[in-house]
Amino acid sequence: MAEVVVTGFGVRTAFGRGADAIRRGVFGGVPSFAPTTRFDTGPYRTPNAATTGSDKPDSQRDVLGDCADEAVEMAGFTARDDTAVLVGTSGDFATLTRFWRGEAGVDVADTVPAHLVDLLAARIGAAGQRLAFTNACVASASAIIHACGLIASGRLESAVCGGAYLVEEEVFAKFDSGRALSRDGVVRPFSVDRSGMLLGDGAAVVVLESASAARRRGARPLATVAGWGAASDAFHVSRPHPQGAGLAAAAQRALRRAGDPDGLLVDYVNAHGTATKFNDPAETQGLHEVFGTRADQVPVSSTKSTTGHLLEAAGIVEFVITLLALTDGVLPPTANFTEADPSCDLDYVPNTARDADVRRALNVNAAFGGFNTALVLERP
Amino acid sequence: MTTATSGPPVSGFIESEFNPLVHEVAHRCLLEHPGDGARTALVLGSTIGDSTTTDLASTLLIGGQVSNPLLFMQATSNAILGFLSKEFGITGPLVSLSAMTDLGSALLDTADLLLDDEELDRVLVVGVELTGNDRTAAACLELGLERPGEDFAVALLVDRDTPPRQPGGHDLRRLAERPTP
Repeated sequence: MAEVVVTGFGVRTAFGRGADAIRRGVFGGVPSFAPTTRFDTGPYRTPNAATTGSDKPDSQRDVLGDCADEAVEMAGFTARDDTAVLVGTSGDFATLTRFWRGEAGVDVADTVPAHLVDLLAARIGAAGQRLAFTNACVASASAIIHACGLIASGRLESAVCGGAYLVEEEVFAKFDSGRALSRDGVVRPFSVDRSGMLLGDGAAVVVLESASAARRRGARPLATVAGWGAASDAFHVSRPHPQGAGLAAAAQRALRRAGDPDGLLVDYVNAHGTATKFNDPAETQGLHEVFGTRADQVPVSSTKSTTGHLLEAAGIVEFVITLLALTDGVLPPTANFTEADPSCDLDYVPNTARDADVRRALNVNAAFGGFNTALVLERP
Repeated sequence: MTTATSGPPVSGFIESEFNPLVHEVAHRCLLEHPGDGARTALVLGSTIGDSTTTDLASTLLIGGQVSNPLLFMQATSNAILGFLSKEFGITGPLVSLSAMTDLGSALLDTADLLLDDEELDRVLVVGVELTGNDRTAAACLELGLERPGEDFAVALLVDRDTPPRQPGGHDLRRLAERPTP
């Protein structure tokens, strides 16, 4: 099996563009939530989200394109004929709203997820397989897993993976109506007084290559993707399995592939950590299943406490954050942490970043319908 | 392999033919070929997705009506795949994807890739498209895509004994015409 390495990334969150914005915001433990002015929040229970502050945000096509430009520049990468482009997106919902409002000049094709992938492929000159992954909060993690399989098996040597979600009213209204959004404008994963999630702007693109292809062109790997896995709960269409069965199974698949079935080499876990009633205890139980008696020694944090929930972009942005934890030797904190929920009993890196020699890290994500993904990143 | 152009209602799923269609073809396939759910994956593909539910939610929003969170959940194929995974005890990977062209080949290639994993024995591949609405018609026109003539779904259970796909690609109809092993 070919070794899969990351050679470049581009990222954008409500903190701004690039890694330094993430270092300041996510690793600084500074939440980015504020009342959004992107649409009239009067009808809703909360006005808060993690947005870039612009009333007219860029489109998904532009944000993905900007991230791709940064990623290929960092990697010094030129797309090849077989380079796959795999993106987590459900299409541009802001465009959908504008279409039904009857606005002029709407790029209605941007509502089709796969079209955004084609645009990205054309921008970077990639001519290989092009797929949009539409499975909600694990969409971009699924794209990375797909790419890793293609590269590891030798089917191709490189893939450009992405994911994007920009806060808009369609999804905001539904989460608000479902009472999933935090009532007080603060996201407190794993804390006893948590009251829900908030949405956030997010996009990222990463360049993945076989280690041999990267070596041939003299590229420096930023990290190795040592393992990946996916599994389902087979439990409920919207709630996670209360023992985190699917999340544990996905992580165990990834760790077996990484040659570390018991997770003994894992120094950090970037959790899904939505701060919802059902997710956090279930995820905690799942991580107990993965790490056994060592569970309380493995630092776990939810960076959604600063970025918000990035939906289709969550997996890939948190993949980049995990990569930065490896390369910088710093664990990002769970911000806004107050007092642990009695059913959440791990080391959540509360409120303050922590220096650590992180050689291997696990990044897990989950989505409604019982979808779970896991990725193991390793420092070169 | 099964196909359908309509399906009976599925409990808890409202408004759209998308999820009943997916359930109908997947249910028939999995009932006809029972297997170990722990060693089964599900892959669903649709270029446009559930436009009925997505666009209903959008028009309700614009009309100032209270948003129904069910419409978010059901517009995403996670919901019906989660429903099927519970019904058949499937704990392998669940994937949903979209491709602009040659969706049938994309689905079969994805199944082929998943079967590299020794922990899996079979993959249920489901393709589905709806005829759509004004928005999807406008998008198809802009993209040069042919609009589906009718709502349609196809399911195909793939294992390691399934013959490799023919070169030249498959649309979903061609996928349905594919010889079974």
